[in-house]
Amino acid sequence: MTTLMNIKTQYPTMDDAHLAQQARTEAFAELYHRHLTSVFRYHLAHTGNTKDAEDLTSQTFMAALEGIDSYRGTGPYIAWLMGIASRTRLRHFRGSRPEVPLDAALQIPTPSLPTDKAAFQRLQLDQILGALKHISSDRAEALILCFFSELNFAEAGLVLGKSEAAVKMLISRGLQDLRTRTSLPLEVDYE
Amino acid sequence: MNKDILNQLTADEQNAALKIVEAAETMQVSPTFRWDLETQLMEKYKTQRQPTQGWFTKFAGTLGWAFLAIGVLFLLSWTIRSLVPNLSAASNTTPMNSFEQNVRAGNICRGPLAVAHNYSVALTNQAKTGFITLDEQESIGELRSLVWSPDGKQLAIVGNTTGTGNIYLTDSTGSSLQPVLANSELGYLMDAAWSHDGQQLLTWSLQNNTIVHVMNTDGTGLTEIQLGLQMFGTPQFTPDGESIIFYGADSTSAGLFEVSLDNMQTRTISTMVEDESNYAWSPDGTRLAYIEMDRDLVKARIIVAEFEAGSQAVLATLPILKSGYSIPDSANLSWSPDGTSLIFDLGRSVTDRAIYLVHMDGTGLVKLADSVYAPALSADGDCLAYISNKQVFLLDLTSKNATPLFLADLPTGRSIADYRLDKLQWGAELVP
Repeated sequence: MTTLMNIKTQYPTMDDAHLAQQARTEAFAELYHRHLTSVFRYHLAHTGNTKDAEDLTSQTFMAALEGIDSYRGTGPYIAWLMGIASRTRLRHFRGSRPEVPLDAALQIPTPSLPTDKAAFQRLQLDQILGALKHISSDRAEALILCFFSELNFAEAGLVLGKSEAAVKMLISRGLQDLRTRTSLPLEVDYE
Repeated sequence: MNKDILNQLTADEQNAALKIVEAAETMQVSPTFRWDLETQLMEKYKTQRQPTQGWFTKFAGTLGWAFLAIGVLFLLSWTIRSLVPNLSAASNTTPMNSFEQNVRAGNICRGPLAVAHNYSVALTNQAKTGFITLDEQESIGELRSLVWSPDGKQLAIVGNTTGTGNIYLTDSTGSSLQPVLANSELGYLMDAAWSHDGQQLLTWSLQNNTIVHVMNTDGTGLTEIQLGLQMFGTPQFTPDGESIIFYGADSTSAGLFEVSLDNMQTRTISTMVEDESNYAWSPDGTRLAYIEMDRDLVKARIIVAEFEAGSQAVLATLPILKSGYSIPDSANLSWSPDGTSLIFDLGRSVTDRAIYLVHMDGTGLVKLADSVYAPALSADGDCLAYISNKQVFLLDLTSKNATPLFLADLPTGRSIADYRLDKLQWGAELVP
């Protein structure tokens, strides 16, 4: 029986647009494998809560599977998928749960790391996610799309409705804001 | 991380970016969640692949429920009418119905309302009961922007098909689409701006955002003008037609700039303007309004500058406190047709936005509606159109206690686009 998971091996080299346009639903498994981490990190960066991020990731992929036939191939598939992720997130924040307190939230699984290093990483991530909430939403969204979900400027531009150059400026200003308006230590440690 | 991105950042920015990426890489999807999600997706996938067996049974079931619902509604309606015999007569005299009748009859809120949503464009029908989607043939491609001509009779629509730009014109009825540029080699086109005489259009592309292209409205006379700055969005001609203003960036900062088209002389109007829809010329062309987002003072300032005199005044301020989910941004600034007020929206997300009205006489700022965005004032100044929860509404500005009138659902569009690309714009009144 063909299942979602063993479909993966049928399209190892095809790019996203061809997969989504030509193979439609059958190629969804491959697209899912490629972009699961991007979508999960996007939601975790916004919610700061693993459980909510998992819920939203599920909803995003369910909606994407349902709507894959409506993807026209006029833009990158990842931009289409992150558009769905963005709308799913906005629906989540509408109404009863406007904000998740970060200090009560982060439960990032890092099983392979020593305890002290894992704790340090968790603290650092906590600080970054907290700081993102204190800069403008456009800039925070651009930073999350590019650095957490690994979209390029053009793809992030399509999600945000901005030009590639405007996204670059949002990133520059966002990074500057994080360094000047928050207490976030973003200098590189030279060892 | 994406090395292309890293290579485009300065050394300082790269350092900060690497720290963020390092933190992001600690976010791992747990195997348990992955397994659960894949199981759910497989179930859904199998359901989607099932042929339409039993469609008659499903159809009959749906039909049964529909009849039952109609019956219940009919019974409920009959009961209410029996208990309150004068209800229907009384409701006809309420302000909302009067407003609705006047809108549908074309007595107020005249002219077509254009909507941009999900990379597609539509116009209201004559009775203002719904939208007619333009470009059914998809010749315009993925919509980027739309703008009415200065006389409000022609709509310029900018779209792209597989990276090549298109500009089309249509009239107030949307009956035909005339190409100005089709499959242009200029690249992915972003905006169009009309000259004040309505004879020329200016556009720019992502391929090279340091130049703009000017052409006649029939597509002839295409010329290229070097800006010396980066264009980010929404160029507009100055009233004398000799310069353009736009949201862009020089080597040090982003903001609102003016560049002379003759000698490329550059003037920085404000480095605190943060979006391409936060500036607008007054209807008489003498004043420029713009919104500054002062992140240090946590204030949004609505400023009006007398363009010739060079003087400026702060009309109103709004706090943009650092609380809740991120801090807000403003958008969609426009003037009332009589030049006595300004309108814009401000908020943190699509569901958390409000529309504000600022009076030019200095009497302050009024919040008109919550959980709404993309405001547009009709040419007669009587109507405010806006979007809320994927629906378009009209508000009667002549009545103090007006109830919003539902106009229509947003058109479905081509594919999902960010809400910031959603725009409403009124055209001129149709002349028989």
